[in-house]
Amino acid sequence: MPEPAIQISGLFKSYGDVHALCGVDMTIDQGEFFGMLGPNGAGKTTTINILTGLVFNDRGSTQVFGRDTVTDYRFTRSKIGIAAQELSIDWFFPIERLLYFQAGYYGIAPRKAKSTIDNLLKRLGLDKKRDSRLRQLSGGMKRRFQLAKALVHDPDIIILDEPTAGIDVELRRDLWQYLRDLHSAGKTILLTTHYIEEAELLCGKVAIIDQGKVLKEGTPKALTRELGHAGITVQLNQDAVNLEKHLSGFTYTAEENRLHFVVKDPDSSLPEIIQKLSQTEVHIQSITTNSSSLEDVFLSLTGKGINE
Amino acid sequence: MNWIGLWTLIRREVGRFFSVYRQTVLPGLISSALYILIFGFTLEQRISEIQGVSYTWFILPGLIMMNTLTNATSNTASSMLQMKLLQQLPDLLTAPLSGFEIALSYIIGGAVRGLVNGTLVLLLGVLLIKLPVIDPVGTIAFIFLVSWAFASMGLVLGQLADSWDQLAMMQNFFLTPLSFLGGIFYSIQMLPEWAQSLSFFNPIYYMINGIRYTILGISDSSISFSFWMAVALTIIFSATAMLLMQSGEKIKQ
Repeated sequence: MPEPAIQISGLFKSYGDVHALCGVDMTIDQGEFFGMLGPNGAGKTTTINILTGLVFNDRGSTQVFGRDTVTDYRFTRSKIGIAAQELSIDWFFPIERLLYFQAGYYGIAPRKAKSTIDNLLKRLGLDKKRDSRLRQLSGGMKRRFQLAKALVHDPDIIILDEPTAGIDVELRRDLWQYLRDLHSAGKTILLTTHYIEEAELLCGKVAIIDQGKVLKEGTPKALTRELGHAGITVQLNQDAVNLEKHLSGFTYTAEENRLHFVVKDPDSSLPEIIQKLSQTEVHIQSITTNSSSLEDVFLSLTGKGINE
Repeated sequence: MNWIGLWTLIRREVGRFFSVYRQTVLPGLISSALYILIFGFTLEQRISEIQGVSYTWFILPGLIMMNTLTNATSNTASSMLQMKLLQQLPDLLTAPLSGFEIALSYIIGGAVRGLVNGTLVLLLGVLLIKLPVIDPVGTIAFIFLVSWAFASMGLVLGQLADSWDQLAMMQNFFLTPLSFLGGIFYSIQMLPEWAQSLSFFNPIYYMINGIRYTILGISDSSISFSFWMAVALTIIFSATAMLLMQSGEKIKQ
């Protein structure tokens, strides 16, 4: 087994009386697209900041490719590219120059950084703005610049803290596609978000985090199967009567010609329901499924919505 | 050692103040030129020579030193505070750079600004009032040493400050008064004895007399004491700045 890209063990952090992290454990394998899903103040950013050296932990350890992020920081930081949630502002230099500086901090000389920087500026649609100052860019462009800065040293691990917070739908989809491309190219991605849709669409694995603890971890599918509930509504050609013996074992309600099933996993339950109903006299007119989402999972774990 | 990282940050720091030279280089030159004009052409006839040199010559080394140390201090202090307030510091703190490398780059950036400003005022003196420079190498070396010391001090202030107000307070209530009281415009022999004794506790007094010696060959204090004082300040402030950066005080949580 290769070393995990990121290993977080027993992480604690308090700010005075506020317990930001209360024993966070997380393993992110190489090549994984991992999402930390939680409301604002859940401890996502604190976890990331400890990993990248911006915050000291009280207890616990963080490792990147098996090496400690405190004692071996030069190695671990060179492997990580981080796009922070807070946008930084620079008054003095054009954005292209800022990218060369950023590469330099990672030990990459301008000559070697040139092709990466040119490609990033093109791919992220910042090519024509290379001589502009940050203050001259739109909010969406600033976000893209933030991403370019994270990628300038071609890191193996990309950490994105709320990468699509406050940007429009079109740009959000464009960024999602870019993140998928990076993931296909073999990068490990750790993303924090409080957008359920983002985690569901992009992440192979999700950790649900609230009040400084990881409540549950798994693939979005496994989580929704385990904790979520989906609905399947079947319209029949006649009233749904005398079906009890065929449908025992299912949780459902019958109302005139409409049956509504509550299931854990619609993918496996639906064929079963169809099969059972085909053994009866009734004919199916239509079927609709309301699949469960991570939102339901979050709700059942915390008893509240993610943005409450 | 991340040499490329170090070099990049030095270039950034030097590039930063050159890109706003109207704020960082020209003001010191203009105010020094005004001092020379006012004192040289109006007051000099009424003020007798001090220790055998004209009054304008006498004050110029002090002006050089004041420019050097205020510029060196404010470069590191304002750059660090600005990076803190504008959320730029995480870019450095998450990069594979040690606190020592970050501090060193900032200090060199500030020392270069101090050196550039001090040297320009020196050249102004040579051009406008034909200032004799007895020991040019010693003068430049002394300017650089003092720049380094005060750039280090500025970095400490910038890291600890929470607002521009606090920085301005340090500048206005400590640095500027200590510079003026350090004997830019007078020899301490002109002061009453109690005031002379107080001056001995002012480190800037030794800086001004040190450079006055390398330029004019006169000094109120012993030149070797001035030199060692500058070396001591350099070591103390550099070490403090580097340890403080390494500790992450006020910049990491």
